[in-house]
Amino acid sequence: MPPSCCGCLSQYTHHHLVAFLLTFFSYVLLHASRKTFSNVKVSISAQWTPTFTNDSAAAFSPGKTWEGNHLFADKEQATLFLGALDTIFLFSYAVGLYFSGVIGDRVNLRYVLCVGLCGSAAVEFVFGTLTEWLKIYNVYLYCGLWVLNGLLQSAVWPCVVAVMGNWFGKAGRGFVFGLWSACASVGNILGAFLASSVLKYGYEYAFLVTSVVQFAGGVVVFFGLLTSPKEVGLSLEAETGLSPVKTDTDSHRPLMSDEEEEDAAEVEVYDRHYHSIQEPEDPLAEAPLPVTFCQAFCLPGVLPYSLAYACLKLVNYSFFFWLPFYLTNNFGWKEADSDRLSVWYDVGGILGGTIQGLISDLMGKRSPVLALSLVLAMASLVGYSHSPNDQVINAALLTTTGFFIGGPSNMISSAISADLGRQDALRGSQKALATVTGIVDGTGSIGAAAGQYLVSLIESKLGWIQVFYFFIAMTAGSIVFITPLLHKEVREMWRERQALRRQL
Amino acid sequence: MKAGCSQLKPAVLILVFNLCFYGSYQVTDLQICELCSGAVLNGTAVGRFCSSSAGRIEGRCCLRNDNTSDPEYIIGLDLSNCSLTHVEDLQRASTAAYKLLLFRDLSLNPIVNISEAAFQGFIELNYMILPQDIFCPGGNTSWEKVEVKEGNRFCEGQKDTCNQTGQLSMNCPENSLCAPYGPSFFECSCADAYHGYKCLREGEFPLLQVFAPLGASTFVISLLLWLTQRRKAEPL
Repeated sequence: MPPSCCGCLSQYTHHHLVAFLLTFFSYVLLHASRKTFSNVKVSISAQWTPTFTNDSAAAFSPGKTWEGNHLFADKEQATLFLGALDTIFLFSYAVGLYFSGVIGDRVNLRYVLCVGLCGSAAVEFVFGTLTEWLKIYNVYLYCGLWVLNGLLQSAVWPCVVAVMGNWFGKAGRGFVFGLWSACASVGNILGAFLASSVLKYGYEYAFLVTSVVQFAGGVVVFFGLLTSPKEVGLSLEAETGLSPVKTDTDSHRPLMSDEEEEDAAEVEVYDRHYHSIQEPEDPLAEAPLPVTFCQAFCLPGVLPYSLAYACLKLVNYSFFFWLPFYLTNNFGWKEADSDRLSVWYDVGGILGGTIQGLISDLMGKRSPVLALSLVLAMASLVGYSHSPNDQVINAALLTTTGFFIGGPSNMISSAISADLGRQDALRGSQKALATVTGIVDGTGSIGAAAGQYLVSLIESKLGWIQVFYFFIAMTAGSIVFITPLLHKEVREMWRERQALRRQL
Repeated sequence: MKAGCSQLKPAVLILVFNLCFYGSYQVTDLQICELCSGAVLNGTAVGRFCSSSAGRIEGRCCLRNDNTSDPEYIIGLDLSNCSLTHVEDLQRASTAAYKLLLFRDLSLNPIVNISEAAFQGFIELNYMILPQDIFCPGGNTSWEKVEVKEGNRFCEGQKDTCNQTGQLSMNCPENSLCAPYGPSFFECSCADAYHGYKCLREGEFPLLQVFAPLGASTFVISLLLWLTQRRKAEPL
């Protein structure tokens, strides 16, 4: 197995790289098809409605070409329905996350991931392509299919995070996961590209292409993904190789004070690459029992992080959904300009997730980084709400906001979920990764779904500035939820330092 | 109004069409020629038009074919003295033929109204004789020449709705072009390469060029990954 060259990465094999890429692209494809849906909305609502004509003027003929479809009377109603589909999707996605994580820990992660990818590809094909080819336009059919799509898509995230958690141990996790969580943003860019390049053939082909590509991704995952290093006889904790800044005391006191390293010590880390699981090591690791949903919920840190993530994902997804609309409405910029500008938020999020992950790896603690970032996020929200009408300054402020909001959001949903799913309290029952990820992301998605509604409500009643105050309040809320963890981790850090000083 | 009370007015209803056309318009439905009894008389407007354009009279219609192998078309229709009260059934009776009607005589009928859409699609309708109190379909602006004489109204020379600068010039939606569609009517048909509902679609999706490489690369990547990754994998 050729190890990659640069120092701290030398512990990684080509299996690590393939697992990283496969999980990364699984979620890229998933997010690409989500983005496709939001990018073809204009075409779909055109397809569903008759041509708009002034009351005085006669309708265009031939009627079949211009007035044939009456699913909705006008564009506004179609837009409302499309918004309702988004909300339906988010809710069923949130509910699905609670279940799919539990399933993922009990059934082979690879199968669940494939079912999620291929199943949702099939549903999207029916939703966008088949109904158009057969000219079946039915509101209930669309709603039903989109609920199913939400449920199937929810299988993917917990599985990919669990697989990543299996391959990449605690030490480098913050950085690797930070890099990896760029998948959503990359997916957005890919989806926008795919949709725009085939949209001229008809919106059904945008759905056809993204769903076929997603299906192909599912097939590749089925044949190529190793869900855990154990499958090829590598140690689970292959890279407990420890980050350079850690002192000796630290190396036995992992980030979430979990069992990984202690476990690893038992099975002798240093011949890790070639040690086989067949050797009896830890009787408990032989047949890990999956945790139940309630057990996972009661794990230390799961509830606080879930609630904090609900607040944070609300803000994060509101930016995702509403930013172009806000920019167009508030500054009067062109739609294409607004779309392009809103990419900077994603860029900030990727940078934030990676850099903050790296810092948290070096510090050995995540919540202080998170809390600091969230405090700065509140400040940057205040700044952004007073952005001048200048695209360059706005883009800079947007990147900053993305850095401080998207960064922590990415970190909680990936690295911290993985930390939580493999912590100390799970001794004897290692299979909790997908369940915990599902709970955290599910709670977050409920927040995001509620936020969709609340933002439009607040905006219409009170205006945009109040929406920003709402975002600031939500960010403050997420700080409040992680305060107990912050308190605990800071005290631990303090104690460690004291102990170190005494040793010296 | 009852049928049969039409005697008060001299009854002629005549339509004339320039029939220059394409073999694809087959007259399969000559029902309209039998709509009312009698035949086109030689002295009437349709009769004169028919003989001058070498047509053949059948019932109330004047038929012609450009060469012997092609089916015949209706080029003129004389519905005068037919006791018609509404001119909308007309179209239903003549769906197969209406595009070809060039000359139509509707005079001497107790017509009270002509429905708005009655002449929609009558692209070639070029000459009409109507009872005096009925306006030319689409209004005077849709015709080159409108005159009233001997108790009848004559509508001559249908104008192209699309090229008018007047009140009815309507722009077709994106990707479609305006085409005349009967007096005062126009049709928006998809421009070159565009098709489908609202002409939203452009070109044909290159299915093979997209999915063949995709399928091939999926196969290759799957095989490659299986060989390097999963071949020696043991079930957990």
